[in-house]
Amino acid sequence: MGVVSVFSPTRTIAGLAVGAMLLTGCGSSLDESSGSKAEGGKSGGAVKIGLLVPLSGVYAPIGEDLRAGFQLYLDQHDGKLGGREVDLKTADEGEGPQTGVPAAQKLVTQDQVSAVAGVVNSATALGLRDFFDESKKPLLIANAGADDITGARKSQYVWRTSFSNGDVSAALGPAVAEEVKGKVYLIAADYAAGKEMVAGFRKTFEAAGGKVAGEKYTPFGKTQDFQPYLSAIRKSGADAVFAFYAGAEAVNFVKQYKQFGLSGKTSLYGTGFLTEGGALAAQGTAAVGVKTSLHYSTELDSASNKKFVDAYQNAAKKPPTVYAVQGYDTAAVLDKALAEASGDSGDALVKALAKVGSIDSPRGAWKFDSDQNAEQQFYLREVKSSGGTAVNSVVGELD
Amino acid sequence: MATHLVSVLNGLAMGSLLFAIALGLSLVFGMMDVLNLAHGAVYLVGAYVAVALVSDGAGVAAFVLAVLAAAAAGAVLGALLAALTRATTHHLDQALLTLGVALVVAEALSLAFGNDVHSIAAPEPVGGGVTVLGETYPVYRLLVIGFGVVLAVAVYVLVERSPLGSVIRATVADRAMVAALGINTGRVLVGVFAAGAALAAVGGVLAGPILGAQPGLDEKVLLLALVVVVIGGLGSVRGALLGAVLIGQVQALGTALLPEYASFLVFGAMALVLLLRPAGLLPARTGVHA
Amino acid sequence: MKAEAEAMRGDTGAPQDTTTSVLEPLRSGPGAYLPGRRRAVVAVAVVALLAAAPLVLSPYPVSAMTRMLAFAVLVIGVDLLTGVTGLPSLGQAAYFGVGAYTAVLVGVHITPDAMVQALAGLVMGLVAAAVTGWVAVRARGIVFLMLTLAIGESVHQVADTWSAVGGSNGLAGMPPISLFGGPSLLAAGFVYWWVLAVAALVFAAVALVVSSPYGRTLRGIRDNEARMRALGYRPALARYGVFCLAGAVAGVGGALWAQQARFVSPGDMGFEVAALALLSVVIGGAGSLWGPCLGAALVLFVRDSLSASIGGHGPLVLGAVFIAVVFLMPRGLAGLTGTRARLRNLTSARRRKENAS
Repeated sequence: MGVVSVFSPTRTIAGLAVGAMLLTGCGSSLDESSGSKAEGGKSGGAVKIGLLVPLSGVYAPIGEDLRAGFQLYLDQHDGKLGGREVDLKTADEGEGPQTGVPAAQKLVTQDQVSAVAGVVNSATALGLRDFFDESKKPLLIANAGADDITGARKSQYVWRTSFSNGDVSAALGPAVAEEVKGKVYLIAADYAAGKEMVAGFRKTFEAAGGKVAGEKYTPFGKTQDFQPYLSAIRKSGADAVFAFYAGAEAVNFVKQYKQFGLSGKTSLYGTGFLTEGGALAAQGTAAVGVKTSLHYSTELDSASNKKFVDAYQNAAKKPPTVYAVQGYDTAAVLDKALAEASGDSGDALVKALAKVGSIDSPRGAWKFDSDQNAEQQFYLREVKSSGGTAVNSVVGELD
Repeated sequence: MATHLVSVLNGLAMGSLLFAIALGLSLVFGMMDVLNLAHGAVYLVGAYVAVALVSDGAGVAAFVLAVLAAAAAGAVLGALLAALTRATTHHLDQALLTLGVALVVAEALSLAFGNDVHSIAAPEPVGGGVTVLGETYPVYRLLVIGFGVVLAVAVYVLVERSPLGSVIRATVADRAMVAALGINTGRVLVGVFAAGAALAAVGGVLAGPILGAQPGLDEKVLLLALVVVVIGGLGSVRGALLGAVLIGQVQALGTALLPEYASFLVFGAMALVLLLRPAGLLPARTGVHA
Repeated sequence: MKAEAEAMRGDTGAPQDTTTSVLEPLRSGPGAYLPGRRRAVVAVAVVALLAAAPLVLSPYPVSAMTRMLAFAVLVIGVDLLTGVTGLPSLGQAAYFGVGAYTAVLVGVHITPDAMVQALAGLVMGLVAAAVTGWVAVRARGIVFLMLTLAIGESVHQVADTWSAVGGSNGLAGMPPISLFGGPSLLAAGFVYWWVLAVAALVFAAVALVVSSPYGRTLRGIRDNEARMRALGYRPALARYGVFCLAGAVAGVGGALWAQQARFVSPGDMGFEVAALALLSVVIGGAGSLWGPCLGAALVLFVRDSLSASIGGHGPLVLGAVFIAVVFLMPRGLAGLTGTRARLRNLTSARRRKENAS
């Protein structure tokens, strides 16, 4: 049988050498502050921006929309932000921190970008927090919703242009308490975002006098058939349901909600991700009547939104989503901050970010709050059929 | 109680689909020890064929066309995989090879259809629901159960009662002996591989109105099919049927009874079965023979 | 061999290839005849070369290599099971994750000392493997594969939903590591050196185990379990032992992984990590120790560095690599060494087949 080989001479060395060369880059890596050496100096020249969005894996559709929105803003401004040529470095965030964190490190330490925008997955955002805090580079979160990002784990270098999970659902609580006479059943995917969504809703809902019929979490990413849960909802005698799902689970949940005869009898509420973008397109008319809260809808009746929808439709050949708006707004924030900043250093940018003020966005004007989170208007939306296609028509504003 | 009976019904629908998908995986493994990790990708090809051919409100004709097209595509893929895996006799290498094919096929599908979730409408005449035990139940799922029964009977007749079936069973049991009798086992293997893949692709079409089509679905389906195959007994037709029905019920009835443990149920059931019967419930030797 | 195949699926086995058990690797390592002194020289040269990397490379390549080394430690553990003992595992990521969570919890709550964290990771990996392993080691082949998968997925599910360890958001806020009460090691190069030192230690330790009488027992079990039993060995106990050992190795790997990332999330113990580790072993050449390490580097390079720069088509490249490896390198990366080794390899494989049938 022989001894199992442990070493082989030349091949190992050659392999490692090739590996090292493939990774490229030279210089030493024994400095304390990783990658903040090249400061880029004064304003005027090109500025390097990193765009970290998922291009593969389950979040790829969100990543594509974020990128398209960001790119649209760039194209509308001659490829410039803050009057400066932008050298955009796009990296694939993948499904989670295992791929997202190295990709962000590459953008900052290898590509030497001045700021990174994007990040869809909350775990990735939280895993990157210390890295950006220590590298003193701004990270603009354009989607990840974990409450902690701008809460318990906030950093002066981390800014969020999207939403925090609890805020989106909390906005809906009082409205549902008012509309629904009986009890409401809470159901969500069993992971951190699902729990934050339900907690945020439950707090404001119960404070407004609402009654909960039951609370259930379904295995995240593994539930394809919701029949057992739908039967449980029916049995509970609830008058309405609050649900949080996104992507494929949102499609299956909403379609099966109708197939098993609950829609029409038990009204369905949720956060807007339940009926957004590709999910709504796949649900089609099965989603009609679902009411959700979100900070955007393609149907918002404002001049800036109409302009945005037309331009996006032209560029991407499909209607925009909330993710596209978040990408668009992130570029707008960078535009203002770069114009204001006295250089490319992270600290200069962070100072400028604090002064961007109100952002005029397709979603309506919004600004950063003291936690560097987006402070914005939420809307109550209802899915309606408009000429065969389902759209999120705006019912009203939520406070 | 009635609520749980509806779950049982639902478990049968899922079991029918799982049987269609797992059967090919099991037979291919039984005959040539190839762990075909591309089986999920073949399923997904079928699902996307349905996306391409069945539009909202389409009739039965479009659906039947999609089933036929998926079967053809699946058979071609299966034959291709059979040819590829003969390049090496090493089992880990074969698994690696089929996984490589799976990744390439899945990536090709996402390039062609995008990364968005697609849903597939049930054919118009059976798109509605009927009242079963006081609850609304989709007619389409009842048809899927019917399909499962028909498939099980057809496979039983083919494998247990026909001359071709005896060759297949004999090849699972002892390939060398069959070859020594002058039968071209290579052709039998390619045929079974192709037929199994065609069945998986058809499963993709039929599951379409329930599970839709999206990137990543291939892995979930493959995982479930693998669980069914090892629970039932590798290479065993009856084992695949029993495993599929069991896992269907674990997912539906189990979730209804123990919602708190929903995510552990499938693997828990598998571990339990394998601890008690390491070779599966109906191992090939007893399972294939009548 | 026959007994094993029968136990698995009641197969009598055909002569051409089914005499070997399902998924059982046929490879013994090439390069096994290197004289001891030359082997030591090569080992020192490789470690020296690796140690020189931070002096010339910038932080990103160095942190990428740190990840590869930590991952390689996991892969060594998988190889110990898959390559040496013939038990293909998809559950090692669970113990890797247990080690990673342990290191982060120790780092956040107890001490930044890297050595304490790594030891804690090792112990917890060992304990976790000992507690769950008895379920798996009774089986072989694909049944073992599925049982380890079940263990891995269940542990992952616990981490994903247990809010005490951060749930799906993971555990962040781990302070930088330090050594011997010294200052924090923030720079990528110093973390790399620490990870390299531990990885080299693990590699040497596993190499020792593999060439020890116990290692020979394990290979005996892989090649002909019935004979080993007839000779008076207790295969079940030996398998349980190597499963615990592999769990400990994975625990160390996880601790190292967490120390470079200073963060852990359920994805670190997910199916993808387990599958990539097993694939690294297959690509590298199961049974060889250094081949799978190179496989680990290759797989992480494609996933992290290449995928990011080619628009998210990493899976496509990975798939193509898998297919190419099977056709171009039938013995994995380890099979690329000299013809002599390959010939030896073939004859030993043939001999084993003859023994088996």
